[in-house]
Amino acid sequence: MNPAKDAPLSPSRVGQSGMNPLENFRMAFESLWGNKLRSFLALLGIVIGVFAVTAMISLGQMATAGITQDLEAVAGRSIFVQPNFNEGQDFNSAPIRDVDIQALQPLPVTVIPQLFTNIQYESKPGERRSMQLQGTPGDLPKLDPTNKIAKGRYFTEAEARGGLAVAVLSDRAAKDLFPNSEAVGQIARLYYPGGARIDLTVVGVLEPPSGIFGGFGSTATVYAPIQLIWNTSPAARKGQYDFVIMSLKKGADSSQVTQQVRRIFENRYGKGKYQIQSTESFQGTLQSITLILQALLGAIAGLSLLVGGIGIMNIMLVSVTERTREIGLRKALGATSGQIRQQFLIEAVVLTLVGGILGVVLAAGLLLLITATVPFFKVYILNPTTVFLALAVSALVGLFFGVWPAARAAVLDPIEALRYE
Amino acid sequence: MSPVVQMHGVTKVYRSGSSARTVEVRALAGVDLTIYPGEYVALMGPSGSGKSTLMHIIGLLDSPTEGEYSLGGEPVRGLSEAQLARIRNQRVGFVFQAFFLLPRLTALHNVALPLVYRGVSVAERLKQAKRALEAVGLGDRLDHLPSELSGGQKQRVAIARALVQEPDLLLADEPTGNLDSKSSDEILALFDDLHRQGKTIVVVTHEPDVGARAQRIVRLRDGKVADGGMV
Repeated sequence: MNPAKDAPLSPSRVGQSGMNPLENFRMAFESLWGNKLRSFLALLGIVIGVFAVTAMISLGQMATAGITQDLEAVAGRSIFVQPNFNEGQDFNSAPIRDVDIQALQPLPVTVIPQLFTNIQYESKPGERRSMQLQGTPGDLPKLDPTNKIAKGRYFTEAEARGGLAVAVLSDRAAKDLFPNSEAVGQIARLYYPGGARIDLTVVGVLEPPSGIFGGFGSTATVYAPIQLIWNTSPAARKGQYDFVIMSLKKGADSSQVTQQVRRIFENRYGKGKYQIQSTESFQGTLQSITLILQALLGAIAGLSLLVGGIGIMNIMLVSVTERTREIGLRKALGATSGQIRQQFLIEAVVLTLVGGILGVVLAAGLLLLITATVPFFKVYILNPTTVFLALAVSALVGLFFGVWPAARAAVLDPIEALRYE
Repeated sequence: MSPVVQMHGVTKVYRSGSSARTVEVRALAGVDLTIYPGEYVALMGPSGSGKSTLMHIIGLLDSPTEGEYSLGGEPVRGLSEAQLARIRNQRVGFVFQAFFLLPRLTALHNVALPLVYRGVSVAERLKQAKRALEAVGLGDRLDHLPSELSGGQKQRVAIARALVQEPDLLLADEPTGNLDSKSSDEILALFDDLHRQGKTIVVVTHEPDVGARAQRIVRLRDGKVADGGMV
């Protein structure tokens, strides 16, 4: 007889855990593979759930990236300074002066001071409509590449300094002022709200803004030299601007420069008088909005995971009942209740994990298809974090919904189980 | 030589029904039984005599209500469920009437199954399982599924599965109950062989010609050993 077996049956001898934990994974795969159709149907719910969650999260990220790109195309990497309307300031109480512009010059930015005023035009005899008159430096497209000339040219630096009566029209303004003819070369006849008339020679028309911001970005605006507006507008005061756009130079750090700008204005005028914002901070706001949307959609998709998990529990309960004799036999051959519990738990986890992998693969395919076909989604995003999270959640679903069936398997009495027909 | 099985005054009482009207069934009413290594014992008795219950207690699938039971010289009273499972794995090889092979596993993997719970590596497991199958004359059926085997072959696979554990005790419950007479003869001849090799065998049966093959017959009646308990 084997000498080891003559040793007393002390708890220390019999209590050692003999089984390799990997065995349960092997058994789980064997058992699931043996029941291919049922396993597939059982994990379908998880596949759909994980697919939905992964696709929702990634689509949200792709949408954010798309919006961010559009925003940069419209506004570039810029910093804006304007009166702090939230604190009751306006263009009169908080104007931006030439000295402020001088103070901004050392920063790694192109400073573009601007003016706004209301202007009217005669849409038909006796009827006046409003549009916006914006004062800018000359050669604006060079300073801020988000402005693109569609026809003609922008007025030059020299024309701007001289205050010549020239204008560039936004796409909308060109259509409003000259609905039936080519705008470039024509005279635009405009009226200040007080009644004073100015005639401007149209030298160019801008391209409409691109991307999803094109819709609300295209206001009817007439661009004219700042000097001209100072000279002619009853509301404008020489040496004062309404707001400043600073186009960041390559390599400049947006938040750092924003801080420097804020310090300059706060040192001169105190806190709260001017509002300083960057496209980066807009992007931050946008991102928090899309994050909320993502969380909402993800939660709805998560519900389908819950339903999938209940499906897994159902199939595992059926499986435990069906395999009652197998469980009895395994116990007779020396499996402990713990090992039986582990076996069924791991089976559930393997089932949901395989479902999770299939779901992620399906989602990746859908995202590729969407990036290839829908122009708004320009970049393909499937974060490793998203994938990891999806798989972790599907494994947890298996663990959670496998606990009860596994516990039922574990407590089966081997005698009853072997008698079961 | 110390006995493999030693029982003194073992009783088993099953209670069922509500607390107000409990029904007590006394399946075993004080069994004394000793089985020594190398013995071939038949456990016989009419149905309801308690032989199944006794077999379950010998195989550690059930525990006595009262009395002392030692397997391999060590008392099993007070051992935990996990400890009992381990002893089953190391000391008891079961053979059932209905074979109980896992239908999706090949003969080889069915035989290797008990070794899974012992932590034996796959390669070693399959090597030992192959040897056990060869010992029962099925060296050429390793990769067959149970559905591809005859009843006699299935039972031989089940016996190989018990042998692979190198148990102290081979415990067979009506091993020929599902077999035709030719297959029955083969299985009984195999038990004779194993007995000659020195294995300890306990066969539970109600068939006289099966019992007749054993060295000793223990007869149970009304939960007691009527004859052959040899204490």
